[in-house]
Amino acid sequence: MTARIQDGGRARRPSRLRRRAFAGALILLAALWFGASPVAAAGETPGACVAEKVEALNFGGRHGGEALAILKETAATGVDVGAEDKLKSFEKKLEGCLEAPNPIIPEVTEIIWGGIAFVVLFALMQWKLFPAVKRGMDRRAEKIRDDLDAAETARTEALEVKAGYEAELADARAEAGRIVDAARADAEQVRAELIARAETEADELRQRSDLDVEAAKRQALADLQSEVEAIVIGAAETVIGRNLDHDTQVQLIESYIDDVGSQN
Amino acid sequence: MSAEVVSSYAEALVAVVQAEGDLAATEDELFAVAQALAGSDELREVLADRRIPAARRQQIVEDLLEGQAAEATVALVSMVVGAGRGGDLVRIIEAAVERSAGLRNKAVAEVRSAIALSDDQQRRLAEALQQATGKDVTVKVIVDPTVMGGLVTRIGDEVIDGSVRTRINQLREAF
Repeated sequence: MTARIQDGGRARRPSRLRRRAFAGALILLAALWFGASPVAAAGETPGACVAEKVEALNFGGRHGGEALAILKETAATGVDVGAEDKLKSFEKKLEGCLEAPNPIIPEVTEIIWGGIAFVVLFALMQWKLFPAVKRGMDRRAEKIRDDLDAAETARTEALEVKAGYEAELADARAEAGRIVDAARADAEQVRAELIARAETEADELRQRSDLDVEAAKRQALADLQSEVEAIVIGAAETVIGRNLDHDTQVQLIESYIDDVGSQN
Repeated sequence: MSAEVVSSYAEALVAVVQAEGDLAATEDELFAVAQALAGSDELREVLADRRIPAARRQQIVEDLLEGQAAEATVALVSMVVGAGRGGDLVRIIEAAVERSAGLRNKAVAEVRSAIALSDDQQRRLAEALQQATGKDVTVKVIVDPTVMGGLVTRIGDEVIDGSVRTRINQLREAF
């Protein structure tokens, strides 16, 4: 709602300014129109200048065109040197009418009318236009100041928000860094534990393998010894059994009886 | 079967043998029967099998011992089998032999040998055992081929071992 009202105020101000500018332009045009008319009536055109010079000519008691005709006839005769000089002077005046006006210095009347128009126009402008322009400029400046203040406020708020975001971002980065560090530490710990466990298991496996090899070796030796023993005992038993004939049996019995009898 | 029952049967046997008069001969025959039973599991099982009628078991004993032993000996063994004590016959006979020897103030020397001993050898062995143990012994020889050679004598709990088998076993243990 507030923004809409502000937009409406902004929309009205250019329209009022345009109306005032249009009014000022009309006033200026009118001043030029009415100021230029007296200047044009001053006879400043070449024809008016020539007519004025002819009317002002006086020779031989005559005026105007008649005086000019008499002067030309007199000068043509060459009798009157003064007539020739006057004709030449008159022709120079006419030539002066045909000369272009000074591009820098205007005519006095033009300066007067221009000055009057300028004063009138300046007074009007001072009375109406300048205050309006000044008010417009002030409002414009005030609006710009408000806008600048609002912009500064917005910028400050934005900076605060940005600072907040940056702080949060920094916190998030720090938290992420901590999480990554913790994860890396955990991963390192897990890796170390896995390596240690693997090494331990490998050592145990190696030791168990060594023990198994040693046990297998001992078992093989024991089996071999047992087999050798069985073979040797069996062979001895076979040899002894073959050699135990009746005489040997009797001899063994007699020996036993003697041994028992000798015990006491 | 309790030791008391075995002892009672042994005492009865000895009483019968004493009544018959020839104590030593009957004692030897009973000992031989006990050794034969100890060497035959099948025979022991048959004589102990109560599913076989007692008369049938007694007939088996009589058939086996007929002509091999005195009638008194056969009658004693048959009596024990008929009483249903065939499974304990070996223990009863051993107890009776010991009791009989005891009545003669003698100890039983159970001698195991790979071959049979002559009477002279048995006499000299008895003298040697008497000299060694201080007891008057009566020698009961058991022919046991597993002895291989030499003799093994057991008097009560005492064993005097001079057999080749024991020497070989000692050699095996020495390995």
